[in-house]
Amino acid sequence: MKEIGWLEKWTLRFAVVGLLFLALSGLEGMLMRTQLVAPQALDGVESALNTVRLTSQEPTSENLFYSMLTAHPIVGIYGFAYMCVMGAFYFLVPFLLKKEIRYKKLVPVNFWLQITGVMICWMSGFFGLFNAMYTLYWPLPVSYDRVPRIGSIIFVIGAAVVMVNILIFAYNIFSTVLSKNSSRGYSFRQFLSAAFGIPRLKKLLGREDENAPSLNYNDLPIFIVAVGRGSIDTVINAIVLLAAGVLILVYGLADAFGSGLDPGIVDALVYKNWYWWGLDMVADGSVLMYTAGVWYLLIPILTGRKLYGESVVRTVILVDLLVSMGVWSHHLLGDRVQPLVMRLLSGQIITWGEFFTMGLTIFASLMTIWKAKPVKLSPPLKFVLGSIFGFIMGGVAGLIQANVGLNLIFHNTQWVVSLHAHTFLLTGLGTLLFAVVYALLPMLTKLEIRSQRLVDVHFWAWMVGSVVMAYAMGMSGAKGMLRRTIYPTPHPYESYLTVALIASFLVALGLVAFLVNVINTLGWANTLSLFVPERWIKRQPETASA
Amino acid sequence: MDRDERIWLGVLVVVFLIFNIVTLSTLVPWQEWLLWTDHELDQQISIGIEDYEFQFPPDGIEVQVGEYVEFIATSEDVTYGFGVFRTDGTMVFQMQVVPGYDNKIVWKFDDPGAYDVRSTEYSGPRHSEMFVEDAIHVSP
Repeated sequence: MKEIGWLEKWTLRFAVVGLLFLALSGLEGMLMRTQLVAPQALDGVESALNTVRLTSQEPTSENLFYSMLTAHPIVGIYGFAYMCVMGAFYFLVPFLLKKEIRYKKLVPVNFWLQITGVMICWMSGFFGLFNAMYTLYWPLPVSYDRVPRIGSIIFVIGAAVVMVNILIFAYNIFSTVLSKNSSRGYSFRQFLSAAFGIPRLKKLLGREDENAPSLNYNDLPIFIVAVGRGSIDTVINAIVLLAAGVLILVYGLADAFGSGLDPGIVDALVYKNWYWWGLDMVADGSVLMYTAGVWYLLIPILTGRKLYGESVVRTVILVDLLVSMGVWSHHLLGDRVQPLVMRLLSGQIITWGEFFTMGLTIFASLMTIWKAKPVKLSPPLKFVLGSIFGFIMGGVAGLIQANVGLNLIFHNTQWVVSLHAHTFLLTGLGTLLFAVVYALLPMLTKLEIRSQRLVDVHFWAWMVGSVVMAYAMGMSGAKGMLRRTIYPTPHPYESYLTVALIASFLVALGLVAFLVNVINTLGWANTLSLFVPERWIKRQPETASA
Repeated sequence: MDRDERIWLGVLVVVFLIFNIVTLSTLVPWQEWLLWTDHELDQQISIGIEDYEFQFPPDGIEVQVGEYVEFIATSEDVTYGFGVFRTDGTMVFQMQVVPGYDNKIVWKFDDPGAYDVRSTEYSGPRHSEMFVEDAIHVSP
């Protein structure tokens, strides 16, 4: 491996730790699938682990299942996805802008804080049995007859560390984009204003500010435009979740000091609206914009052709940002007390805005590949196509459930979490992040991916496994099986669960093939050198020169 | 925007219109009474929920096929769900039960028989216990 730079090394560190979090999240997923098929299957392991838990009473299987279910998405999203995104952006943003990261010291800070925060959240479930789910519906996280107070306090501290860290990361990315060490400088106000298309609106209204800098982001690479607009949602998400965390922490500390507060002070519906507005900024905002940005970046590089319809997709990213501000009510379609106009407009019609933005994004991506044919189906391109398939499949499922009529039978079922969320996260986003790793690894290290056969095993096991798992669980949801619910056996959904469990082994096989291939490509010594001082590693001469 | 993009955008618009018009119409049967028509109610049934327990009317829930029945669910502590299921596990309808509010939904049953009730929202580690078999009896 060539001598790699400081930033490249950090990118690899973020990626490796992100993948370890994916493995941890996947292991939790498989354990929960096992428990759903056979609720008592993990009793022996649980008894052994109970000896190290912080609660005074012996926890039930349900306690453990729901605690794991609470930690699972935190590890998957804030551990795996965010770590990979941070690593990739810290390399790509300065690379594309041809300038250095503004605050280099914040890169390792982000790395360690993210690990710390995610692990604190994980420990709040594992040791403290925090079980209020990531939805944190008020007043469940402060109902200490159901949720251990110690677990609640530890969880929100971990979540706060993660959210503050994300704000630091976004600040560093924004600062890098805005830094004026080249002619591409913007003030934050100008950048924010342009992100929301205000200068374009002024131009349309004949009130154009001629002194303003390039109004349509036209001199920024399109990937940076996606990162910039997506990061606005990322910041809003972090602030809202941080506020919810502070609220829960205040209740926890007040209760701990013997002066418990009345949860009834906070209106559960207002809280739910506020929380979902912020939470959804990631699921229906930054994820879609970041994904679009990565497609727009990778596909032209991999096919050697200019992005099709670039001027249109720049506008599409703007529309994506605007749409993301108004779609949260699709999470409240089951709430009859949510005003009908909100359910109909925000929950259904505005949510369809994503159909247009993702529809045009995918069209531009596929047209670029089509017009570049014949193209070499390299590992990253193969995974890019897989991710497009995942977003189409997960998106269609999402539009079916984000419907005032149909949500009545889909809300909170396995359809939502499997066919929509897991397809988006595993088949869509996960596959895309693999594409990024396959594309960046040779760029960062000058090493070719070692085994094409393992790439194929990874691709097909991952794609088939994730699709079959999601489909089987989605069908169980269509038959009425709820998410976040353990059913005593026998129950009508067992055959679906068994298929999903088998498919989850395929997903795991795909991930193992990928990890083996990455480590073989890097070599053990190089992999270890990312985390331990060089002098601790005994290198074989041929390994060192690989 | 070139010709191919305009054609594709047109396809997206057509799909958007067809899907939304169909699903907002009475082709989805319950949209008729949930969205389009205010029917006179035949029954109102209040259901309380507290500490993982459903509290049904003392005489149980008896309705007739074709009646417009309003279910009013209230929670005394956390958010629950009120879901009605057929005996084969498929869902008939559901709503969230937000504490501090009267959560209402009107339903018209088409088929006679017994229906189960289950909480459709996670409310704590005992959530899975919130299942009442044969909670609603629908007579012809």
